[in-house]
Amino acid sequence: MLEIKDLRAEVGGKEILKGINLTINPGEVHAVMGPNGAGKSTLSYVLSGRDGYDVTGGSIYYKGEDLLEMDPDERACSGIFLAFQYPVEIPGVASATFLKTALNAQRKSRGEEELDAMQFLKLVRQKTTELGISDDMLKRAVNVGFSGGEKKRNEVLQMALLEPDLMLLDETDSGLDIDALKVAADGVNRLRSPERSALVITHYQRLLDYIVPDFVHVLADGKIVKSGDKTLALELEEKGYTEISAA
Amino acid sequence: MTSLTPLAQSYIDQFQDHLPRLPGAGSRHVETLRQQGLDVFAALDFPSKRIEEWRFTNLTALTKKGFEAANSECAASPQLATEFASEFEMVFIDGIFSKEESRLNALPTGITITSLADTLGNGAVFNFDDRETRALYALNTAYMQDGFSLHVDDNVTIEDTLVLTFRNTGGSAKRLHSRNMIILGENARLTVLERHEGVGSYFSNPVTRISLAKGSTLQHFKLQNESKQAFHLAMVDSEIADGAHYNNFCLSIGGQISRNELKSSILGGDAESHLNGAYLMRGNQHTDTTTLTEHTVPQNTSSQIYKGVLDDHAHGVFQGKIHIFEDAQQVAGDQLSKALLLSDFAAVDCKPELEIYADDVKCSHGATSGELDEDALFYLQSRGIPEDAARKMLIEAFLADVLDVISDENVKDYFTRLATTWLSSGGDEK
Repeated sequence: MLEIKDLRAEVGGKEILKGINLTINPGEVHAVMGPNGAGKSTLSYVLSGRDGYDVTGGSIYYKGEDLLEMDPDERACSGIFLAFQYPVEIPGVASATFLKTALNAQRKSRGEEELDAMQFLKLVRQKTTELGISDDMLKRAVNVGFSGGEKKRNEVLQMALLEPDLMLLDETDSGLDIDALKVAADGVNRLRSPERSALVITHYQRLLDYIVPDFVHVLADGKIVKSGDKTLALELEEKGYTEISAA
Repeated sequence: MTSLTPLAQSYIDQFQDHLPRLPGAGSRHVETLRQQGLDVFAALDFPSKRIEEWRFTNLTALTKKGFEAANSECAASPQLATEFASEFEMVFIDGIFSKEESRLNALPTGITITSLADTLGNGAVFNFDDRETRALYALNTAYMQDGFSLHVDDNVTIEDTLVLTFRNTGGSAKRLHSRNMIILGENARLTVLERHEGVGSYFSNPVTRISLAKGSTLQHFKLQNESKQAFHLAMVDSEIADGAHYNNFCLSIGGQISRNELKSSILGGDAESHLNGAYLMRGNQHTDTTTLTEHTVPQNTSSQIYKGVLDDHAHGVFQGKIHIFEDAQQVAGDQLSKALLLSDFAAVDCKPELEIYADDVKCSHGATSGELDEDALFYLQSRGIPEDAARKMLIEAFLADVLDVISDENVKDYFTRLATTWLSSGGDEK
């Protein structure tokens, strides 16, 4: 699914990622944990193709294709979804319009028929009901005036609609109370399947109680310094990053 | 004495030749009026950047190079594949009222529509208050040719939107000085949509005077879609009595250099003046919106909201002045100007001015300019929306709230479609 080799990237001339190697196979959920400033968010932005994150070395192959050659929208259309740590407020763009445009752009790229307003609404209703999310926010502008929890729920709803093959979750747990966390985790777990993979980026172990990973990696100073199974997360929680990184 | 600009000089030199061919010829009253206008204009010349009100708008391209000599390659108004359905339309072709093109047969009772040329030609005494000292206003008085005169009787509501179309065909008429009037009786209600469009290089200098009696409401919409080689320098003066409402919205898309100068005098309590607009400019287009809102008496409200989208080397200007007289207590005046710059070479100049002599008033003003939000752009793209479509969505979103103030649904829809078309026509005209 995803093959990252010796990935180096810099932001504003400063090297943040210093040689990352990571392979994610279909169906696997990987967690990347690490202290602040380790490069966790940079990794998620490099994978989703954000401007200003310059790859200076290494390669990323996604479904056998060179990911770095693809624009952000092409990556999205080929199944990569980034759930933002800080979802962006977009005044003047109605959530429903945004979701429909995004969904139809992706369907179009796959050669599928675009949904009309009725079909779209039916699909959204189905998803909001499944996830236990109120569809109030569809009427509002994208993320504008949403609470932290609402923003994250909106990310999960988008993910449920777009049904990505590779979910990137960037600190989805930050700023969430336990109920909101459960809704978010439930959204991810519903999508888990033998074909679908996830990369869960988090600072705390807490989220991993709900989205149980197959593999856990520790990212420190731009490199993966340790990998293991889900018990590594618990070990981290107990001992802290410093000890593990040094080990 | 400094010499006049070539264009001003030609206007003065040709005046005697033109006079017999202008409407109202032979009427001492009209000819005196025209001569007075010419005298004022001759003393002032076209406004230069030395005049504070014209600091940001340079008319040299009009006054020195001469628009008539412009190349014959005709630049039509931007292609706008969108139309406005209406029952009634008054059409002016190359500045002259065209009865054939107009649809004014089944007008409801209570509204009188005449062409200015007819009125002046009939020898009717026109009671203009032309103590105006603005050069372009005076020039219009000297050369005013035709235009609409609308009068709605007391307590009459005209439901249908009256469309007023000024179309320049690229013929020999290069100087257009239309003079228009809208007079609403007490509690009268009217909605008008002015459209200015054309082909080739010409100079349009329309002046519109509006008088709103007690309790009346005028919805005044304007589409400035002149050719890309045209100059459009318009003035609209309105007087608003007790309880009357004046809502003006101008969508500016066309023109090489355009200016919309609005003067609203609020003369009564509970009266409202709302001057709003959007401008969409690219290439080397220049557009200027200058407003003056006068609160002369207590307890009334005004607002101005203008939003601009500027691409390439386009230049926008917003100057908004709110003048609150000494006795005009308890008035509210709000002003907002926002510009979105899509290129590093696009620019906007903004000058809000509050002149307040009363002490119990509520006024606000704000001005911003900036680029598209890169974070928002990435967010949209990260969901699969291609960059071009994402940009369009964000520009439309930027314009949405100003278009939302348009109270007439049909006009709102029309202007929204025009804005969308403008966005889609992107690189075609560069």
